[in-house]
Order: sequence, then structure tokens, then C-alpha cells
Amino acid sequence: MTTDLHSETPATPLLSVRTVEKSFPGVRALSGVSFDAVRGEVHALLGENGAGKSTLIKIVSGVFPPDRGEVLVDGKPVDLARPDDARRAGIATIYQELLLFPELTVAENIFMGHAPRANLRRIDWRAMHEKTNALLASLEIHDLQADRVVGSLSVGNRQRVEILRALSQDARILIMDEPTAALTEYDVTRLFDIVRKLKARGVAVIYISHRLDEIFAIADRVTVLRDGAHVATKRVADTDAAELVQLMVGRRIESLFPKIAVSIGKPVLEVKDLERRPLTRSVSLTVRAGEIVGLAGLVGSGRSELAQTIFGVTPADNGEIRITGQKVDIRSPAQARSLGVAYVPEDRGTQGLVRPMTVRENFSLAALGKVAFGGFIDRGAERKLAGDGVRRFAVKASSIEQIAGKLSGGNQQKIVLGKWLANAPKLLILDEPTRGIDVGAKAEIHRLMGELAAQGLAILMISSELPEVLGMSDRVLVMREGRIVAEFSREEATQESIGAAMMGSHENAEEAA
Amino acid sequence: MSEIPLPHSAKRVVPWWLLRHETMLALILLVALIVLGYLNNRFLTLDNLLNQGRLTTEVGLIALPMTFIIITGGIDLSVGSIVGLCAILLGYSWKVFGFPLPLAICFSLLVGAAAGFLNGIVITRVKVPPLIMTIATLALYRGLAEGISQARSVRGYPEWFYFIGQDNLFGVPAQLWLLLISIVVAAIVLDRTTFGRTLYAIGNNETAARFSGLPVDRVKLIIYTLSGFMAGLSACVLVSRVTTTRSDMGMGYELDVIAAVVLGGTSIFGGVGTIWGTVVGLAMIQLLKNGLALTGVKGDATIVVIGTVLILSTLVASSLQRRREGV
Repeated sequence: MTTDLHSETPATPLLSVRTVEKSFPGVRALSGVSFDAVRGEVHALLGENGAGKSTLIKIVSGVFPPDRGEVLVDGKPVDLARPDDARRAGIATIYQELLLFPELTVAENIFMGHAPRANLRRIDWRAMHEKTNALLASLEIHDLQADRVVGSLSVGNRQRVEILRALSQDARILIMDEPTAALTEYDVTRLFDIVRKLKARGVAVIYISHRLDEIFAIADRVTVLRDGAHVATKRVADTDAAELVQLMVGRRIESLFPKIAVSIGKPVLEVKDLERRPLTRSVSLTVRAGEIVGLAGLVGSGRSELAQTIFGVTPADNGEIRITGQKVDIRSPAQARSLGVAYVPEDRGTQGLVRPMTVRENFSLAALGKVAFGGFIDRGAERKLAGDGVRRFAVKASSIEQIAGKLSGGNQQKIVLGKWLANAPKLLILDEPTRGIDVGAKAEIHRLMGELAAQGLAILMISSELPEVLGMSDRVLVMREGRIVAEFSREEATQESIGAAMMGSHENAEEAA
Repeated sequence: MSEIPLPHSAKRVVPWWLLRHETMLALILLVALIVLGYLNNRFLTLDNLLNQGRLTTEVGLIALPMTFIIITGGIDLSVGSIVGLCAILLGYSWKVFGFPLPLAICFSLLVGAAAGFLNGIVITRVKVPPLIMTIATLALYRGLAEGISQARSVRGYPEWFYFIGQDNLFGVPAQLWLLLISIVVAAIVLDRTTFGRTLYAIGNNETAARFSGLPVDRVKLIIYTLSGFMAGLSACVLVSRVTTTRSDMGMGYELDVIAAVVLGGTSIFGGVGTIWGTVVGLAMIQLLKNGLALTGVKGDATIVVIGTVLILSTLVASSLQRRREGV
């Protein structure tokens, strides 16, 4: 089976995207992606975080225009400059965060912006209710009343309201972005029933999900994106979980990662049955001196939450943390810091850096105790700390008095890293340490990690980038739904094995093999 | 994502200190002084200026912790009501409870601090926005003051008590010394200590401050408590100056205080501000009021002028901000 299925699809697909390209400052989000969907088909979109799925959807739903390429509906090119254009072309999108008015009723939400009118442009409430009931009946939804207030509905029912809203606008192409992320199992079954009914009516459904089992349950075809490029389009019947995982993650690992062989020492961090609901569930792990432990998992699997629980931002409800063998009860970041724990957070702009402040002030922020005596800041010591940091991490700034927010992402990240290393920590937790920074700075941060580990620092690295996890880690842990579900040694770890554990398609993959 | 350092000093024609809000404001103040002095020969006299210092002390004492609070991105609207409550409790505990006056003063300062502490604890623990919390206590504390006083005023304090409000020390109004010392201490704390740095960090990015292990909640609790305490101190000075205690004392102070702080260049969004700016803002408002009154401008016209000055200074501040950010 080849990746080209155009010959098998009917003459004109309902929706067709042709060689679409889109770049954002510093990032190439999509490079020449083509994709189509035919009447009565469920077409799944699959890819890692950052593969370009969201960008593709946003182009199709008119959030922003592509740089190059075109979108065709019924074989005719359409100009989707605004979301309203997409609506008129019959394209409706249901985002993860539902866009409803919680204070209004089901009927009002469905007909928001296109309510039936009586004379004098008054809203025709009778007609609105009748139409709502007709829509409900057409999808055989019996437990939803037109006059219920949306805020009182379950997530599953709210989603049904969104679907009805799309149908009330005669949508022929329905895009669903991870529709099952917040649903209970029962609601998922009901959602699938509705999707099948829509299919029977000739609606084309574009279905985005991380859950492979869902794709096998509902989709007809699946398109895999990777790094903004189209990798393959397959009939679901002709593929299996193992193949899809491989298609998704199948990059070759660049030899970019200078992993230095380090003798691994005593445990620095020992976590036992750590609990902080909902996203830290009975987590146990150990990180030793000189060891880099990679923590892989999908977005929302609870990795950052685990890190923040260890760091005291969201203190644990239950369980045990030991730092160099000592049992500790960490209740605040300040306490974690004094115990030798450092955390370089995921979101540099909001959690890591005080952007309007200077490089000097940012460098000393987590180490004020080191440059202050009796509460008074010694400016000379502070300047020296910042100056040393700038040199050690090769931060490219015009001076230590430059505003940190004006530096490039890579340099900002070096400052966040540097401010924590000024405290000489024993354990360094890195949350997506190289996200959104350029290749050069990335390599420098990797080199630095290697050096730090060689000096005996214990490093726990959260990363969504599998090559980074594989390249840097001595050991890889995989999280899913708040639990650690798999552990691989450096030798055992492969993209496929980690990817399968992340997706929870372990069993599927084995069955298929 | 270029790594090229920005051309930093290339565009700068005007020296940086001249572009600072405080400097600009001080220059405007100077011009206003000269013009008002020219229009009225009673304005630019040492006596008049010192007397204006006396009158501005009560607002000034509260403006210092308010600068701290606004730098963190917060606000305290209850200060005027705390002044009223403290003034009433000072008189009431002396007259009705029969406390010796020094003890009554301490008691009222303590109540002021407690009132601020309550604001702080609810803001940090329950995460009620400062605006909401202090609007609520603005009503609550004023209501308490009125309930306790039952519209009766307290007078007839012993002679020594009037020293702080009415006498001079080394030729300068006694309360002005209190204000000057407070200004110096507040300026050093804000500029030189880890506490001051923490205030700026909170105002610029509270999450990052927390993630850096700074004691965000403790610092907030301290500044709201300090704000209440200084309002109590202001109440003592006020009672001493006007020799009587009434429950409507300090009414509307919150607006005078916030106007002075914001006029002095402290950003209402937090992260930016200095004590020096607040001092210039205070001087500006008080001297404009006085100078205009002496020149024969009516009271309501004075308020119009002050409102206009506030708007203009905000425009200057935002254009400076844009310049700094290079947009």
C-alpha cells in the first residue's frame, strides 16, 4: 500500500488542502502539507506535539491564512481569511476548550449569531426551540432539553451542544480537536455514535487524537504529520498501531547529543508513592548523582505537575521525598531551594524569567541570599555574580543591565539555567529545557547538561522531544495519566518503545506485531 | 531568533536620567513653582512651604507603603477608613476605656496594623483580588469607626500630645521630621534590600518570583500590614494637628494617596516605581493645591487642574514606556 490514495477517493474531495506552508518567526510550522477529506469519511490527523496539526486546523478554520498553498472546498479554491469565511464554506471546528456561553440556554448557544427572526428582526423563540428540538431528534439525543442552561451540563453534553451548533450552520466539514481528552468512557461511546451518524449524512469529520485505539475505532483514513511535513496517509484497515507510532516518531537520532560517560553516584532524589491529585498518582523514582533521567510523556501526562510537586510549588498530599537520603517535607520553592533543588520551568516567559527586569537582576533572583548581607544587596557582589554567569553560559547580551526579555529565547533560557546554578544545587529538574530555542543554543544547553552531570549533579529532564530524551538520558521514565508507566535503560530505549508507552498502545502494538 | 546584541546606545540622544519619569516630573514641578511664585508673593516663602509640608504629612506617610503595594501590582483602598478607625479608637480608648494616652496611641497603631494584616491575610490566603478586598474593608472599617463613635467627637487632649501635629523641631514642623525619616527608610528598603527587589519581582512576574523561591506571600502580608500601621500613624498625626477626633477623618485619603503614587511614576500594573517619584508626586499635588488657592483659584477649579495634571503625567509615562521598549 502506497501513501497515495487519491486514485481511490471519489473525483472531488469535499475538502482538499494543497501544499500548504506556514512559518512563524523562527519556526517552520508547516512545509508543503497536502491533505483531503471526502464525504462521509472520518479522517484522523496524527502527530507528536509540534508536528503541525494545530497549525493545519487553524488554517482550515480560517484563524490565520497559509503563507503558500490553497484550500479547496468541493474542488473550488476558497479564501479563508477569517473564521467567518470558514463557517460560510461549511467548515466548523470544535476545539478542546469549548467555546460556549455558560449562562445561556442550549438553544441560545446553538443559534448564537444566527437566530431565526420574526418580523421587526425580533428573535423568533418558538422557531428557535423547534429547530433545536429537531436537531436533537436528528441525532437521537433525548437527555438534553433546549432550555437547559449550558453551564449546568456535563462536559459530554456541552460538546454535543457544540456539535449541534455546527450542524445548525449546515457544516459539512467538522473538525474535532482531541474531542475525547476530557470525556468519560461513556461519553466517548456516545460521541462515536454521533460521529457515525454524521458520517452517514455525508459529513466529513477530521478527527485529531493522541489515542491510537480511538483512531482504530472510528477513523477511515489516517494522515501522519511530523515536523510540519506530511509523512503518510493510510487506510486505517491497512495499518496497525506499531506502524503509526513509527511513522509519528521515526526521525533518525542526530548525533548532536554529547553524552559523556559518567560514573553514577549515590541517590540524590528518592521519591516514593508521591501523590498530588489529579496528575501525580503514586509516583516513585530515583535520580542519582551524575545521572540524567529523562521523563517522557504526552502533554498533560503529569510531568510538569510532578516536577512542581517535588519543587514545592504544589506540595504533595502524600508520599515521601528524600534528598541525599534525608527525608524532607517540601512545602515551598524557597524550601526546595535551600535543600539544593533547582527547577527550570517549562514556560520561560511566565515562570522562569522576570522579563522586564535586567539580566543582572534575573541572575541574582534565586540567589539573593548569596549576594545580600543582612537583607542589603551588595551591588558589587551582584554584578560579579551576573558577570560570571554571562561568561560561563556565554549569554549574548550587550551588558548585564540589558532587559532580559529582549534577548533571544536561547539566551533567556541560559539565564534561567544560570540563575539556578548560582545556588550550586544538588538536583536539577529541567522542564522542556530546549523548547523553542535555536539549534545552536540547544546544543550548548545539552553540552552544559553533560558537564553538570559529570560534576556530580543529578538531573531530571522532562522533554517532549524524543531524540533529546534518547540522546541525553541515562535512563528514561515514561509518564501517562499521572503515573510512571514504563522505565527503560539507555540501551533499551527506542523511539518506538517510548512512543508506545506514552500513547498507552503497548498492548495494541504487541497484538499487531 | 538572532543572537546579535541589540544596538543599545545608538538611538540615545537624550541622557537616560532625563527620560526618567521622576526627573520629568521634578522639572514640571520646578516650572510650576516658579510660575505660582511669580503670580503670588506669599507662595514661595519658607513659612508657607513648611506649612504645606505639615499638611501633606498625613497623606505622605500612607503613600510610602502604598508605593510598595502598587509596585507589587496590588492596591489598598481601605487606608482612609483605617485612618478614621484608628483616630476614633485613639480618642475612644483614652476617653472611654480610660487608657493613658501613650497606651491609647499604641493601641490605635496596633489596630491599624491589624486592619492591614486582615487585608493581607485574605489577599494572600483566600486569593481575593486586593481591589475587592480593600473596597470591602473600606466600607467595613469606616462602618466600625462610625458605629464606635456614634457621631460623637473626642476633644481636650493633654497639651503634650499636640507637639507632633502643631509644633516645630529645629524650625521644621515636627511631623515633617517623621515623614522625612520614613521617606529615607522606605527609599533605602526599596532600592537596596532583598525585600525591595522582591517587590519589583512580584510586580513584574509573580509566578516567576514564586518559582525563584522568593517569599511572595510573606512579603505581601508585610506590606499590607505596614500600610495599615502607617495609616494608624497618620491618624495620630492628624488628630494631634486638628485637636479633635471624628469618624469621618481620613475620608477620601485613599484617592489622594494613590494619585500621588501614580503621579510619581509608579505603574498601576506593578513592577515600576520609586519612593522619589512618590515624594515628587506628593509635593506636586500639595503645592498645586496651595499655589492655586493662594492665586485665587476656587476649590473646584483646583481639582480640575489636578485631574488634568494626572492625565498628562500618565500620557508622558506611557510614551516614555513605549520609548524604553523601543516600539
